[in-house]
Order: sequence, then structure tokens, then C-alpha cells
Amino acid sequence: MGKRIIVDPITRIEGHLRIEVEVEKGKVVDAWCSGQMFRGIEMMLQGRDPRDAHHFVQRSCGVCTYVHALASVRAVEQACNIEIPENARIIRNLLHGSQFQHDHIVHFYHLHALDWVDIVSALSADPAKTAKLSENVSGRPQNSAYFSEIQTRLKTFVNSGQLGPFNNAYWGHSAYNLPAEANLMASAHYIEGLKLQAKAARMHAIFGGKNPHPQSLVVGGITSVRDLTPERIDEYTQIWKETKAFVDEVYLPDLLAIASFYKEWGAIGGNNDAYLAYGEFPQKKVDDDLLLPGGVVDASLAYAAVNTDKIAEDVTRAWYEKGEAKHPLSGETKPIAGEVFYNTDDKYSWIKAPRYAGKSAEVGPLARVLVAYAKGHDHVKKLVDHTLKTLDVGKGALFSTLGRTAARAIETVVISDAMEGWIETLKSNIASGNKKTYQPWTMPDKGQGGGLNDVPRGALGHWIDIKGGKIKNYQYVVPSTWNFGPRDSKKQKGPVEKSLVGTPVADPSKPIEVLRTVHSFDPCLACAVHVIDPHTNQTYEVKVI
Amino acid sequence: MDNNNITVLGVGNILYTDDGVGIRVVEKLEKEYEFSENIDIIDGGVLGVNLLGVISNAGRLIVVDTVLNHAQPGDLHRLDHDQIPNRILAKNSLHQVDLIEALTLCNALDHVPQTTIIGIEPKDIETLNEHLTPEIGARLDDLVQNVLEEVLRLGGSFQPRA
Repeated sequence: MGKRIIVDPITRIEGHLRIEVEVEKGKVVDAWCSGQMFRGIEMMLQGRDPRDAHHFVQRSCGVCTYVHALASVRAVEQACNIEIPENARIIRNLLHGSQFQHDHIVHFYHLHALDWVDIVSALSADPAKTAKLSENVSGRPQNSAYFSEIQTRLKTFVNSGQLGPFNNAYWGHSAYNLPAEANLMASAHYIEGLKLQAKAARMHAIFGGKNPHPQSLVVGGITSVRDLTPERIDEYTQIWKETKAFVDEVYLPDLLAIASFYKEWGAIGGNNDAYLAYGEFPQKKVDDDLLLPGGVVDASLAYAAVNTDKIAEDVTRAWYEKGEAKHPLSGETKPIAGEVFYNTDDKYSWIKAPRYAGKSAEVGPLARVLVAYAKGHDHVKKLVDHTLKTLDVGKGALFSTLGRTAARAIETVVISDAMEGWIETLKSNIASGNKKTYQPWTMPDKGQGGGLNDVPRGALGHWIDIKGGKIKNYQYVVPSTWNFGPRDSKKQKGPVEKSLVGTPVADPSKPIEVLRTVHSFDPCLACAVHVIDPHTNQTYEVKVI
Repeated sequence: MDNNNITVLGVGNILYTDDGVGIRVVEKLEKEYEFSENIDIIDGGVLGVNLLGVISNAGRLIVVDTVLNHAQPGDLHRLDHDQIPNRILAKNSLHQVDLIEALTLCNALDHVPQTTIIGIEPKDIETLNEHLTPEIGARLDDLVQNVLEEVLRLGGSFQPRA
């Protein structure tokens, strides 16, 4: 038996995730992924008014508040047969599009980059050489005075001892491949990304009525009617433009530049089983003609449409009462009574194990990009081919940690570009007097609906069963449940568990390679599970057994 | 960023009993008072690092939150700027760590707002429930008063809504 390494908790994420891997001869041979917090929002929703559900579910997560609200109103709209007006659809797309722009930039620079970029090495870079590098790779080259100023700022930051998220990193680890100059360039963009992040959040405020926690969504449409003026739309457009420019000129070029030093990661961290996307951004009707199509693909890129009847959640290895795998519409959330025990041979997680047609499926940017690619989506295909060519790697490199991280940048470009058309249509609708944003409706006595959307972290589905005008049952299956779920009754691993197998680990006491793959999935377990634990986990712990 | 701007930021999760107390304070402030132009009242939820925009735009920041300080439930706490990093080094709660990280990241943006945390020792932050416990609910008005005093001290003004 190999050496067991436990990383608990994984940092730079929302929520509490524990990863255990078994390492033999410098490689991961087995992996267990555990969500350490219980989520029970579903139980809280029973008996409530379906129109209130989205207010509750959007509080179940710290980051993706809007996307849960969107899935929830869509579920109720399907259950009640409501078709929302075009303007409401567009504004929802614009809110959701800005969520993608914001989230993916934050993920790449602020949650994931430090796995690849060594900030301490950046301190020894030559600013003049960094400027030259920036001329070669960036669509927004910067001069040596700029990089020199960034370097001074980083030094002050590091010397202050208040490292914040830079704490507990593995600076100087042999797995860092970037030259000092590339580290400095990326660190500079880390800081620019922070500034942009602060601004991009304002896009949500414009049509959201409020930010954080947009309040403009209602079952039947949207309520931010007073903001449908040319001035407010222009305000949105300005921030969108600035964000899009950053994506085109900085994010994608940085991704390509950094990836070119980490090509071996095109063969690590893949899953090669099934990739699932519900698709997102309705161009016409809500469940029709999506910008990013839904579908299921395997490693040969064979495409099939999604049939949600094939979704079931297995609880064999999670801390719930025994029972057969169930579809979310009839799903149950019954935590086992009493104390729970972490046992990798039995139950070891609060996350259920969702399966599609009996298989574990990866969701997220890579799944969406693969599905779009398999369907021959023009824009996606162009960007994917360009990325593969620039890095001089084959299609097989897509099924990896590198592919997953690249897919996130690629879809940010595709979505950012599409937002322009939505803005234009909205403007012309308003100008021509079409200001309808809400479809009146009445609550039926009975109804069932599924609200599907594909959100920054992957396929998100909310299912509602209405009886007597109240919520009889409500279940949601979130992206992190798909990706971070445990084994099932057939002992099949979840996607992250599977992806970790084969990962090299140079130094078991500093498993940065494990973090790279885990972070590439953009874990956010605050919604998969949630609670605050006041007295434990005061430090970041890597245990080598 | 305007140095005279005062941001009152409530944080926490309203679905976890007393964890939502910061948000309840903010709701009460908005409902019962009218504030001068330079004051923003924000419901920050548990957005953590994603609140960077809100935080970095504040001249002065008042955070309202639960604070675990080994005291009796309902005890009020006040932490001033220079006490914050040291006092909350331990991982008191997931969102608080993120909030502190966000404050730290402000260094990289060249502006860390002068911050005061007005907090309360919670009784229950684990049960899934949208209501505060009676003990904490009973201190809501005191918390609101503490925030108002802080606003006055920093040069803001307000009046009760008619």
C-alpha cells in the first residue's frame, strides 16, 4: 500500500473540502473526495410558497447567489407553464453573462494562478525582460517601469507578513516551471484582475436591482424595469467592454503563455469518462437554441442529447440513510442520525453521488466546451483549435487539467462576445417601445418542473414538485455535487477522484500537483454543503500517513 | 473611492440562525433610518473575497458580524482596525476568513479602509433556520445603536424614517 496524503481543508475555495490520495512511486494511485459540511436547504423549503424559493436558494451559496435564483425561477416557470418575455430573457442572460466574466477571471487569477505562478520568484525578475515578454505574448503590453512598480508593491506586500491568500503556498516548489519574468507578468495581472473584479461586480448591480444578491428575478420575468434606460444600459455596456478587453488582451494570452510552460499537464488530471452540459444562454425561447449547447460527450467526442430522466443520485458512500439511487424529482435528503464517521471504505462525504445513465459525469467549462466542439460550434471550435495549435498539442490534451483550465478561458471569450448582441437587441426593443419584462400568471394547484442552467462551475438543476400551491418537494443538484461526489454503489469514483489518479507528486509533504487538479474544477462547496465550523481547522493541514 | 464614504457591511448567512444577525442589522438600519449621502448600507451575505469591490471602495468600513470570542451568547464585541488581523487569525468562520482576506487584498489595491467590526457572540450558527435565537434577537436594537454611534463618530448623519 502506498502513502496516504490528506489535504484538509483545500484552501482558496468556498466551503470545506477534504482530499485524500494514496501515492505510490511518486504518483497518485487512488483518491477520495469528501465534502465536510451538510446542506439541508431542501428540507427548509417544504411547504413554502414556490415564489419564495429563489430567495432561499440564492442564500445557500456565498458566491453563486444569482445562478441558484435563476435555476429556481426556471423550475417554477416550467412547473407553471410560463413563457417569459424576450426582454426578461435577455436581461437574465446579461446578468448571467457578467457572472461568468466575473467568476472565471477571479478563478483563473485569484484562486488558481498561484498553483502555477510563484509570487516569490517574481520578486527576482528583471522588469525590463518582463516588459519584453509582455510585448511578445500580451495584447496589452506594459513597460518595465510598470513591472518595476508592481515588483516593489509585491515586496511590500510580502514583507508586511499579511499574506492573506498567499499564505500556505508552496513557494519555490520544484513543480513551478515559469521563469521569474513570466511570474512577474502574471503577478501584475493578478493585481489588475483584482481591480477589474471590483468593477465587474457592478454589472450585476445595474440589472440586478441590488448587488450583492440581485433581487430583480421573479417567477415570470424580471423587475428591474426602471433601469431599462439608455443611460443605464450604456453604463453596463462600458463595464462589459472593459471586461471583454481584459479577457481578450490579458486573460486568454496569459493562459496560453502560462500553459506553454506546463504542457505536461495536458496529459494529467483527465477524467475520460463522461462530460455533461445542460447548455446555457437561450437565444430565443428558454429551453431552445442555446449559445452553449447541452449534451453528453465521451472521450471520443461522440455526442448525445441530454435526457434528464437518466439523472439519479446515489447515497451509498455519503452520510445519508440507505436507499436506492433516485431522480431529483423524487429525491430525498435524509442525513443519517447521530455522529458520522469518515471511512474511505464506507461512507466519507456529505456530498451525494449524482450519476448520468449510471456513470459519473464531469460538468463545468470543459464539459461545455467539449459538447460545443463535438456539435461543431463555430466560435468554440476556432478557439479550441487555435489553443491546441499555439501550444502544439493534440486533441487528447483537452481531457486534462490543462484542458479544463483552457476551456474556462475559451468560454469566457465566447460568452463575452455574445453579450454584445444581447445588449443591442435589448436597446432596439426598448427604442421601439417593447418594454415588456413580466408575464402575469396564476399559481396552479399542481405542477412539476426542472430548472436547468449551466453556470460558471457547471450544470445546475433545481427540481420542484408543487402541490396545493405549495412546495411539496424541492431538490437541487449543483455542479460541485457532480464533480466532487464520492464513489457509488458500484464503487465507481466521482470525476475529481478519477481525475486525480495518475497525478505525479514530487514531494508528499507539499502536494501542489494535487491542488492543481482539484482547483482546476473550481470547487465551491458552500452550496454543495454549508456550515460554519468555529473551532476546528485553524490551520491548513497536509497529513502524510 | 471617497475617503468620506462610510460603508456599513452586514455579513453572514440568514439561513443559519444567528449567523444572519449582521444582515438583520443592515435590514433594520435601511428600514428604520435615512442616512446622509456618504453612507452605503450593504447586505454582503457570505460573498467573502467577492466583496472586494464593496470593501475597496469604502473610505471607512463598519462590518457587522457574529464574532466568536469565547464569551456569553449576546455579548457585544467591537474590534478596531489594528486589532483585526491578530484577533481573527484563527479561522472563526469560513466567511470571516474570506472577509479578512479581502481586507488584506486591499493592500494590493493600495487602499485598505479604516475598519471597525461590530459583532455579537452568537448562540447558534449551525441550525438551518431563518430566525435568530431569542437571545440574539433581543440584542438586535443594541447592535443597531452601536452601529449608529459608530456612524456618528465617523462623521455620518441619519434620522429615523417618518
